[in-house]
Amino acid sequence: MSALRLAGVTAGYDGGTVLHDVHLDCPEGTVTCMIGPNGAGKSTVLRVITGLLGADAGRVTLGGTDLGALPPEGVLRAGVAMVPQSQALFPHMTVRENVLMGGYLIRRDRALVKARYAAVADLIPIVAARAGDPAGNLSGGQRRMVEVARCLMLEPRVLLFDEPSVGLDPRSLAAVTGLIERLHADGRTLLLVEQNVRLGLRLATHAVVMESGRVLMHGPAEEIAGHPQIADLYLGGRAAVPAGQASEAAERRDDG
Amino acid sequence: MQFLQAVIIGLLIGGVYALMASGLTLIFGVLRVINIAHGALLVLAATMTWLLWRETGVDPILAAVATTPVMLGLGWLIHRGVITRLPQGSPAMTVLATFGLALIIEGVLNVTVGNIFRSATPDYFAQSFRVGGLALPKPHVYGFAAAVVVLGGLYLVLTRTWTGRAIRATAQNPAGAALVGVSGAGTAALAFAIGTATTGVGGSVLSVLYPFYPASHYDWIARLLGIIVLGGLGSLPGALVGAVVLGLAETLTATYGSLQWSTLVFYIVIMVVLLVRPQGLFGTRLREDALA
Ligand SMILES: Nc1ncnc2c1ncn2[C@@H]1O[C@H](COP(=O)(O)OP(=O)(O)O)[C@@H](O)[C@H]1O
Ligand SMILES: [Mg+2]
Repeated sequence: MSALRLAGVTAGYDGGTVLHDVHLDCPEGTVTCMIGPNGAGKSTVLRVITGLLGADAGRVTLGGTDLGALPPEGVLRAGVAMVPQSQALFPHMTVRENVLMGGYLIRRDRALVKARYAAVADLIPIVAARAGDPAGNLSGGQRRMVEVARCLMLEPRVLLFDEPSVGLDPRSLAAVTGLIERLHADGRTLLLVEQNVRLGLRLATHAVVMESGRVLMHGPAEEIAGHPQIADLYLGGRAAVPAGQASEAAERRDDG
Repeated sequence: MQFLQAVIIGLLIGGVYALMASGLTLIFGVLRVINIAHGALLVLAATMTWLLWRETGVDPILAAVATTPVMLGLGWLIHRGVITRLPQGSPAMTVLATFGLALIIEGVLNVTVGNIFRSATPDYFAQSFRVGGLALPKPHVYGFAAAVVVLGGLYLVLTRTWTGRAIRATAQNPAGAALVGVSGAGTAALAFAIGTATTGVGGSVLSVLYPFYPASHYDWIARLLGIIVLGGLGSLPGALVGAVVLGLAETLTATYGSLQWSTLVFYIVIMVVLLVRPQGLFGTRLREDALA
């Protein structure tokens, strides 16, 4: 069953149209990885889904609900949350306050907020370990974990991640990756944008390739990973390396 | 003893300044708008207080109970009618528009109540509390108490309520606040209204402590801007410290030097601090886009 679906979405900023007739389908419980060069419009797709940017044409639906008609708050209530590319936390608030703010929309139900906080703190240890520290004092990796924790306060059906691996040291990266795997195992639907294509495709069940605001390719992750053009552009330049050495070259890159 | 007396009075005045500056810095923190009309709103509230006191004999500081809701509503109207209509991200336009607003308020006061000095003089006006060998003027003590009530209340609202957390979240990271479902527009309106409402109590205290006339707002906005620039634009603790520094600088200079020098000393302090910390005492570094 399809959880999140974009059909013929066209959108842009004052500067002009960025997305052209974008179709996207994220079946329930899958992990979709969106790849493509800088400026391809990947973050813009996520922004349209969250309602932070209105679409000029096309439909965004969750289950059967039309998300396009909802304000950002309504999209959140419908069950879609995002961990954005850049700093999303409130630097002068404590980690605890930051995570609690994730429950802003359920604030009237104190018991629920409390229970969700306990569950989130249980799942993501940094929340309890640094509860009283200002979020601005955390490392990049720790902040990313707190951002995810904050999202989970609403128990979203769909989680959008914009470049979750950017700027993380190997240990934080492992923690974030583990968390994504865990969320997938819990049956949530994930859509991630990832510059580290190898990592992204490993985590994903499905993949979408974007270029210049258009969907170039989409399909199961292995299929996309195995596509010669993708291998060429993103996985270590098979064309530049004689066949047979390609996977070896890629391995070495992984080590580095 | 003279020193102690000067320090205590400086602290009392600092508390009153902090009350007057709190709304200005709160509004800047959330909306990135420097409300040049804040001084005029204080003078307007002081004038309303004075009228209430003269007509009904009510205590001028207690009159804030009546003027605060009026200022709250006026703040909401100003936000709705002026601030939201300005082009986004244009500090020049907001400064110009709120300066215009200040002139309008000044003009309306000139026409309605006249261009004369006023001061509310309740019976305790010239009395002092005697503590040890110190004489603490009652108006200053009451004004300080009102400031503590308002600032304490503001602190509790900002830290203990969801509304307050939404306001702080929006000030610290508007994009992040939108992600958790906080309405930027609603929060901005609320912050502007609350920030303006503080001029209700601020104006009441002003009417007793300082003689005022419609154009007094120039003096006040200059002082208040000095305070929040010193403390760090948008920071409430910063405004508190900046206000106390101003209060102490004025009182100590007036006690040991001359009255003429008292405000000048404060501006010298500001310049020295800004040379060392351009973001102010409590400000996070002011980015290029912070005013946008
Ligand atoms: N806020 C914005 N205003 C105007 N143009 C933008 C804005 N954000 C992104 N763009 C433009 O939209 C295009 C796609 O950007 P984005 O979606 O961020 O790409 P990606 O995430 O794939 O790197 C780029 O050309 C970028 O310059
Ligand atoms: Mg991007």
